[in-house]
Amino acid sequence: MGRPTAIRTQALSKSFGDTRALVSLSLDVAEGEVIGYLGPNGAGKTTTIRLLLGLIRATSGRAEIFGVDCQAHPVEAHRRVAYVPGEVNLWPSLTGTEALHLLGRIHGYVDVAYRDLLIERFELDPSKKVRAYSKGNRQKLILIAGLMTRADLLLLDEPTSGLDPLKERAFRECVAEAREHGQTVFLSSHILSEVEALCDRIAILRAGRLVEVGTLAEMRHLSALHVEAQMDGSVPPLSGLPGVSAVEVDGSRVSCRVTGSVEPLLAALAGAGVRHLVSREPSLEELFLAHYGSGQAASDAA
Amino acid sequence: MRRREIYDDRRAARAVAVTTARRAGPQGALWGYVFGATIAATAWSYSSSFPTAESRARLADSVEGNAGFAALFGPIRAIDTIAGYTAYKTMFFLVILGAIWGLLAATRLLRGEEDAGRWGLFLSGRTTRGGAAAQAAIGLATALVPLWVLTAVLTAAVGATSKVQIGVGASLCLATSVGAAVAMLMAVGMLVGQLAATRHDANLIGAGVLTGSYLVRMAADSDPSLDWLRWASPLGWIEELRPLTGSHPLAFVPIVVLIAVLTIVAVRVASRRDLGASAFASRDRRAPRTLLLGGQAGLTVRLTRPAFVAWVAALAATGLVFGLVAQAAGAALRGSPGLEQAIARLGGSSAGAVAYLGFVFVFAAGLVAIAVAGQVAAIRNEEAAGLLDNLLVRPVARWRWLAVRLAVGSGLVVVASTLVGLAAWAGAASQHTGVAVGDLFVAGLNVAPPALFVLGIGALVFGFWPRVAIGVTYGLVVWSFFVETIAAVFDSSHWLRDTSPLLHITPAPAADPNWTSAAWLVGLGILAALVGVAAFCRRDLQGA
Ligand SMILES: Nc1ncnc2c1ncn2[C@@H]1O[C@H](COP(=O)(O)OP(=O)(O)OP(=O)(O)O)[C@@H](O)[C@H]1O
Ligand SMILES: [Mg+2]
Repeated sequence: MGRPTAIRTQALSKSFGDTRALVSLSLDVAEGEVIGYLGPNGAGKTTTIRLLLGLIRATSGRAEIFGVDCQAHPVEAHRRVAYVPGEVNLWPSLTGTEALHLLGRIHGYVDVAYRDLLIERFELDPSKKVRAYSKGNRQKLILIAGLMTRADLLLLDEPTSGLDPLKERAFRECVAEAREHGQTVFLSSHILSEVEALCDRIAILRAGRLVEVGTLAEMRHLSALHVEAQMDGSVPPLSGLPGVSAVEVDGSRVSCRVTGSVEPLLAALAGAGVRHLVSREPSLEELFLAHYGSGQAASDAA
Repeated sequence: MRRREIYDDRRAARAVAVTTARRAGPQGALWGYVFGATIAATAWSYSSSFPTAESRARLADSVEGNAGFAALFGPIRAIDTIAGYTAYKTMFFLVILGAIWGLLAATRLLRGEEDAGRWGLFLSGRTTRGGAAAQAAIGLATALVPLWVLTAVLTAAVGATSKVQIGVGASLCLATSVGAAVAMLMAVGMLVGQLAATRHDANLIGAGVLTGSYLVRMAADSDPSLDWLRWASPLGWIEELRPLTGSHPLAFVPIVVLIAVLTIVAVRVASRRDLGASAFASRDRRAPRTLLLGGQAGLTVRLTRPAFVAWVAALAATGLVFGLVAQAAGAALRGSPGLEQAIARLGGSSAGAVAYLGFVFVFAAGLVAIAVAGQVAAIRNEEAAGLLDNLLVRPVARWRWLAVRLAVGSGLVVVASTLVGLAAWAGAASQHTGVAVGDLFVAGLNVAPPALFVLGIGALVFGFWPRVAIGVTYGLVVWSFFVETIAAVFDSSHWLRDTSPLLHITPAPAADPNWTSAAWLVGLGILAALVGVAAFCRRDLQGA
């Protein structure tokens, strides 16, 4: 990789007693990259981020942020990092303004104009006390506190949980701005459309292990193409063809999935007389479900 | 193939009561034990301190009719009997301690749970807001049972000895009186928890009620012509019960009525107001006050300021009271051979006012230790509530955060200790007691080392096992108190005495401070704190 790395983990592992929350994660994130970090509940996403922040100690392995060992020198690493958690706990007696003031001072740098823009964009009323904020408003507050620092690396753990669709759109705008600014974004999220729209690369975690990492295009390339065909006559036998799976026949209509070359399938269909053919790349949701829904169980068995 | 889990309806409906009782019950048992042990130790030591009828008569002569004592601690009745002395010596502190615990337990288990968002989980289940409050009341009442039983049993046990001889009926009455004070303040706590906007506000209002009740009672006891005024104060009713000195059950009437009314009103308010809201308008909006919000140290100062100020004020007031009564108390205790022995056992040699101050300053040392245990709790709670995450994900070093926290705790100890000494001097000087300011200043500083030791141990446990840090720290303080109250039964070289940090200081000003053991306590405290900080820097943050 030509660009310097923002995050580098080497065989990073974390166990809580018997639970292996993260198993030997090796991942590089280039500077300026926006990476999506996906996985089912309990996969180890939050664990990864808390390890990167030095809030919990690695059982083994190593993690660096901009070349700084973030377990050994967290303070130095944190100077270039902003973190937005999905679950906010702020001092209930402080007002929004006071909380932003405090968090900004502690971080050491705030883009004041940008902060004011964010407050406007997210429609936050900062004169209220934290205890009087709704869940979404608290989330907006902590999001603004992270984004206003313009930190080189944004570690976002479900940053839009509880936000309404308008604010979520505002968030997407912010990530786009961060990208333009050359900031690196590490985005853990369950909102796949968000990840699909924002991220250059995607990493998928399952039960603490990295099962897939790459651009969306690469992942699509590797995974099955969805094909639907309307035949003139009856449907030829397709199940035996190389790379073809999940064949479903409904009268003269057939649908199936193909991995690898489509040539054998096309030859078989053309020989039988095909009237209409549609092929579609899998959406991120399908990729995702294939990775940790029943599809994964099937391919594990295979 | 649909299967539904059917839960026992009644069990689900009792969830709040059970949860509340489970959380308050062990504390009720702990306090019952402390109360019972205190009563037993007091009754026992009276018989050795004042063994003869003559020494008891002398004690009675000098304190009975002393308006100052009566105003501060309640009327003095039959102090020439073991029962009368025990009631007089213990009721005041037990009632105040029990009342404070009752208030805090009620606000924590009702309002505190609501503030933390856990109440909402219950309410989404099979109960209503009013129903949940009523159940919580039942849970709190359940927690009173172990308190009452242990107090009664321990009192009756020592009462059964030939040396003490307090009847079972009198023991039950004493336990009931203390329990009644706890119950009243629990009811107050329930109601103010419904009225205030936060648990913190509820505690402040409750503390105001308790203080007002104390002041009315104080006025009533300061002048016999104001006796009737005692009926205007809940703490006055407890006094009117006269446990151990000829009981007076009529006073139960207002107590029961008050508890019933407050509980009913609390349940009704709970069923009418919104969850998380307050019956009073609260200000959720204000102009920003960013003073002290420039960094982590300033934030710590800001967060700890209310507790800091409250403790310093309370300890200064305690010192002032000690000073005010020193002269009279010293005169009362002069010539008691038992007392002289006790002072000698603690390493002192004087008698009179100075001896009295020496005794009570050991008690003050215990209070300072409780104050600092509260700081350890605040340290742990900041981590458990996830608030610390906000600091540590930014460029704040772990050791620096904990060091600032511990510095604030040490500052509290030093300021409070100094003020105890100076306030005691001011009180004593106003009565022309003739104690040198320098001596009391030093005596004040002398109470700091045990608290600093407790703080160090608290930091050590926090560094390794954060989830038990609060329990261990408070446990250490309670244990120290306990060993101190029963120290009279050990000989001075018994190893159990060594386990109480409070017994490693001398009863200054009745004796010269032992700077060597003070230095050991402080040194060990610092060492423990350093190890704790190092451990904290190497462990996972742990939520609640
Ligand atoms: N402090 C802890 N103690 C014990 N186990 C933990 C702790 N924190 C996380 N775990 C366990 O580690 C695993 C990974 O949890 P993690 O919070 O990283 O999941 P996640 O991917 O963030 O899930 P979600 O999508 O639900 O947020 C889970 O099995 C979880 O139970
Ligand atoms: Mg998570």
